[in-house]
Amino acid sequence: MTRGTVARRGAATLLKRGAIGLAVVAGLMTPAIGAAEDASGIDTAHLPGPAKWQDLPDWSGVWRETRNTIFDHATVQPPGASSGTPGAREFPPLTEKWEKVYAHNRELVSKGQFPDPITMCGVPAGFPRVFNLPDVYEFVVRPEESWLLSENGPNVMRIYTDGRDDPAKEDRWLTYTGDSVGYWDGDTLVFSTVAVKNEGTILDRTGLTLSDEMTSVTRMRKIADDLIEAELIITDPIALTEPWHVTVQFERLPDGARVYDYACAENNRNPVTDSGHTITLGPDGKPLDGSSGE
Amino acid sequence: MKLAFRLRRTGLAAGVAVAMAGWALAPVPVAAHHSANSFDSTKVIELEGTVKEFQWTNPHTWIQLYVVDENGANVEWSIEGGSPGTLSRAGWRPSTFKSGTMVRIKVHPMKNGEAAGIFVGAQFPDGSSLGRW
Repeated sequence: MTRGTVARRGAATLLKRGAIGLAVVAGLMTPAIGAAEDASGIDTAHLPGPAKWQDLPDWSGVWRETRNTIFDHATVQPPGASSGTPGAREFPPLTEKWEKVYAHNRELVSKGQFPDPITMCGVPAGFPRVFNLPDVYEFVVRPEESWLLSENGPNVMRIYTDGRDDPAKEDRWLTYTGDSVGYWDGDTLVFSTVAVKNEGTILDRTGLTLSDEMTSVTRMRKIADDLIEAELIITDPIALTEPWHVTVQFERLPDGARVYDYACAENNRNPVTDSGHTITLGPDGKPLDGSSGE
Repeated sequence: MKLAFRLRRTGLAAGVAVAMAGWALAPVPVAAHHSANSFDSTKVIELEGTVKEFQWTNPHTWIQLYVVDENGANVEWSIEGGSPGTLSRAGWRPSTFKSGTMVRIKVHPMKNGEAAGIFVGAQFPDGSSLGRW
């Protein structure tokens, strides 16, 4: 039996009976969203277990996002905007409540008072922002576990594919990167992410955020020799009215590219003031923006 | 300290050179770690001076450049660049800006006129250049 067969069979068993099915994407089975036990939609209690080494795809090398660090390029306005574009925003299916949150954040952005948490060199980028970072990435795949490693941060995201379930709900606590378990569906890494601490993190600098109720299903595969695509299906009963599909692509750098240390606190001359302004320090360590940064 | 920029027709002499407002340029590429609100990405100014120090550090590199202002005073500019990892993959090295080197550098200046900017491009005495020049 090939691993693909195993994966397909495994995937078939993963679809919850009676769950709300989503569209089949490119002929690949998409886990159902809205399943009873796990809001991510994958029946994490019945994962198929590790793939075989010989069936794993080759994701070696150094990769970077193909576009700038706007999280949802499909809905950003103005089209092609970057995070620094005045007035830039995306249009996820936000609830009325979260539209107000986003509006408030964008108001802070316009005042220069919406600091990027990673500027403070303290916390991880978090999920799903970990899929939306500058600099470069490595994707390390093994049968039982895969890792997303970002140079920026650095951040480490672990995806267990050894058949384990998420921790029981009573045993979970929220972490910035959450808990991810999944399986290999042929050449596609499919995983759910739960228990994400979104408070204090952002998706990008337009002011876009999600709530701590967010969960996600990610399908990640190589769509060309030098191109990996990740499709995230994000659910969030607080922030979103329906599942939000976001696609991110990574291009492979030429052979020989290296990944380096990123010690954020080494010489951070752009601290954030109490008022939320990101300032610049001169060579003497004194703010060039004025003492308050206002 | 706020600097008064002196417009010059040539940029070969030491000092603050041509100020060019309103350039339509690509988004600031080096502000990966923080917002660039303090800097005016619509403006580019050209500096010419002597490298004091190249801080090859995370999360950003910094070129400390001595520039003689219109009053003849030596002003130390802080020019922010990308991370060492990003720059090294683009061919930069810790030795790219050696102390004592005369160099012309274009920056997106701080909005408040302080002596700092975000790196846009540089030209060395041998005519070679980096970034957008």
